[in-house]
Amino acid sequence: MLDRVIHLLPPELKAVLEKLPESAMEHLEEIRIREGRPLELGIRGQSRFAASDGTLRAGSDGAYKPTADICRKLLEKITNHSLYAMEEELKRGFITVAGGHRIGLAGRTILDGGNVRGIRDIGGFNIRIAREVVGSARNLLPKLLDKNRKTVHSTLILAPPQQGKTTIVRDIARSISYGHWGLFENAAGWSGRKVGIVDERSEIAACVRGIPTFDVGPRTDIMDACPKAEGMMMLLRSMSPEVVIADEIGRPEDGEAIREASHAGISVIATAHAYDLQDARGRPVLKQLLEDGTFTYVVELKRTGEGFMHRVVAADLKDKLPPAAREPTAATSKGEQGRTYAGMQRGDAP
Amino acid sequence: MIKLLGAVLILFAGTMIGFQQAARLAARPRQLRQLAHALQRLETEIGYGHTPLPEALERTAEAVPEPLAELFRDTADRVQGPEGLTFRESWEQAMTSGWGLTALRQTEQSVMLRLGSTLGISDKEDQLKHIHLALLQLKAEEDTAREDQSRYEKMWKSLGVLIAVLVVILMV
Repeated sequence: MLDRVIHLLPPELKAVLEKLPESAMEHLEEIRIREGRPLELGIRGQSRFAASDGTLRAGSDGAYKPTADICRKLLEKITNHSLYAMEEELKRGFITVAGGHRIGLAGRTILDGGNVRGIRDIGGFNIRIAREVVGSARNLLPKLLDKNRKTVHSTLILAPPQQGKTTIVRDIARSISYGHWGLFENAAGWSGRKVGIVDERSEIAACVRGIPTFDVGPRTDIMDACPKAEGMMMLLRSMSPEVVIADEIGRPEDGEAIREASHAGISVIATAHAYDLQDARGRPVLKQLLEDGTFTYVVELKRTGEGFMHRVVAADLKDKLPPAAREPTAATSKGEQGRTYAGMQRGDAP
Repeated sequence: MIKLLGAVLILFAGTMIGFQQAARLAARPRQLRQLAHALQRLETEIGYGHTPLPEALERTAEAVPEPLAELFRDTADRVQGPEGLTFRESWEQAMTSGWGLTALRQTEQSVMLRLGSTLGISDKEDQLKHIHLALLQLKAEEDTAREDQSRYEKMWKSLGVLIAVLVVILMV
């Protein structure tokens, strides 16, 4: 994983990270760089501090501390030496670089009439390494199919940050677009569907100059770096998608656009930050959407050491469903890196 | 015979030195004008195009004639090089190594170096302000350079010949 982002790092930092043990490099998910404070790494969901000789430790004592100079160089590199060209990104607090890696920024904000206009004195970076897991939604997708319309039901995917929402939604987009409908036997003859992705954070498709760097399927159109609500309406008007995909909804206008799309006979697959359905109902926009019956299914995601686990729940609030255990989203026999999910129970969607 | 040949050579050399100095004087305001054009181009790329600096510099290099184009192209090459140089370092190295090829002087160089320390590290408005300031300074330099040209260009041309004649007379 490290080799995907190593070109972004200043030489000093590169030297430290190249000394990491092989397994740490392979499972590296996050690099957190804070000026003058210990270098933290996220490895398989766990937090570790790195020393300058590449050893990992749970405590921060003796860890390598990036200097102000290194942070300045890093900022220059990730902004391509052009902070002025990144004003929109700085307003949002993160930069997406080629390959879909998102770099979160923290520092002192500049306010303009009460609104955040940007960040200066940036002292914290979080490099999240994007992963493409082909087939990660293979077990999930068949449960979301709409057999009458030969397409997928409108679905809301819920999970806290870092649990694989984007990875799953990308695989769903790709599968629908290719027409790989998964295990469901009647779906074998279905063709792929036109997919429209509104990729506000450039994370799903990781477009570079409008061309996706991840494989999102042959029937997929992407509105890159576009506000979700506007992007959805633009896609509806211009690209006639059959399935619209949006990441991290939550603003009132997002809800409006999703309602509009679903009334136009389009399936919407959206993700949102929430632990589970109960949690989602606490957010006004999601609550309204769920109550309106815009979504047929809600999927709760959770990442474990074994892979992505999911639970499909009917979104209709009247149905009180018995709680069920989360299941793996990908093939059960053999997962990525050859780990097996055998022994994990598999069942039908409630 | 040899004396005559020597005299002719001295005359030729003196004339050439004079003409060369005059050409430098004439080239300076012209290059200052071109440098101002280059910065205006950069201003447009930053202000309207939001073009990232390395690309903006390459485009600027295409728009101005040599030897100035080399300054910008060299910066763009260095900043994208494998050494991981900061923009400021790349700019400083390019301005120092390529400056000798131009007819420009120390004052302009310090204007450019000052500009280099601010490029790329602030928001758009701030960038445009700094470029504007550099443009004003270059304009002032251009005015003095033009005055120098009108005052000294002819003088250098005749001075070269006259000194050569003096040397020949003293030798004979």
